[in-house]
Amino acid sequence: MNLAAVMDAVSARADTIAGLRCYAWPVAKVTPPALIVSYPEDITFDETYGRGMDRMTLPAVAVVGKASDRTARDLVAAYCNGSGASSVKQVLESGTYTAFHHVRVASIEFDVVSIAGVDYIAALFTLDIAGSGTS
Amino acid sequence: MTLVHSKSTVITVGGADLSAFTNESSFGRKADKHDVTTYGKNDHVYAPGLGDGDFSMGGVYDNSVTGPRDVLEPLVGTMVTVIRKPEGTGSGLPQDSFSSLLEEYVETSPVTDYVKWTAKFQPSDAVTSTNQV
Repeated sequence: MNLAAVMDAVSARADTIAGLRCYAWPVAKVTPPALIVSYPEDITFDETYGRGMDRMTLPAVAVVGKASDRTARDLVAAYCNGSGASSVKQVLESGTYTAFHHVRVASIEFDVVSIAGVDYIAALFTLDIAGSGTS
Repeated sequence: MTLVHSKSTVITVGGADLSAFTNESSFGRKADKHDVTTYGKNDHVYAPGLGDGDFSMGGVYDNSVTGPRDVLEPLVGTMVTVIRKPEGTGSGLPQDSFSSLLEEYVETSPVTDYVKWTAKFQPSDAVTSTNQV
């Protein structure tokens, strides 16, 4: 798996969610609601013999809106839903990819991030991605 | 002495290379023993018997036609030729080749992980251990 291609593919697929701006790397400036695909927590080589399979844990952060807004609560809930047109899990896992074989949205953690002095609710998606070790 | 990593291991079953779907394998060789202790001895005396062995492998399921399901499932209960190259492919590297009964093929599906598979073989007759040319 090529890391850049994987990050591009995940971002492109998430970008099909209406109204969600997606970035394939940690950009300097974002305008919520946005999903930022970040660098992997880890890449594990040689999951099988002969470079058959590698695996990575890739984070993607959804920065949604002011933490104190009810509309932001409703929006982050839609992104974090297990199903639905705005569900990051459903959209990413239903995609077809050439950069890797399979993605599973394994978990979500929540946080409040400060951007330009404003506190935004953020959802950190943890993606479990597997693919060939030779492509 | 040089350490050898397992990641280069190559295993073919019936001519099909399953290495890219495999992440564990075990090949054991053993022999029967016969107790030939007689009167007057203070310790057991043994004589060697017939050789025997066991072989198993497993890994990550793949749904391609060259994957473990399509290759191994039809071979359960049949004799197949297994070739094992513990240090990978290369001139002078060791290789074991043996005829074997494929006794079982098992798929397991843990909910939070990929589908896994294992296969158990019973080697039959002599094992040919050579260095690759």
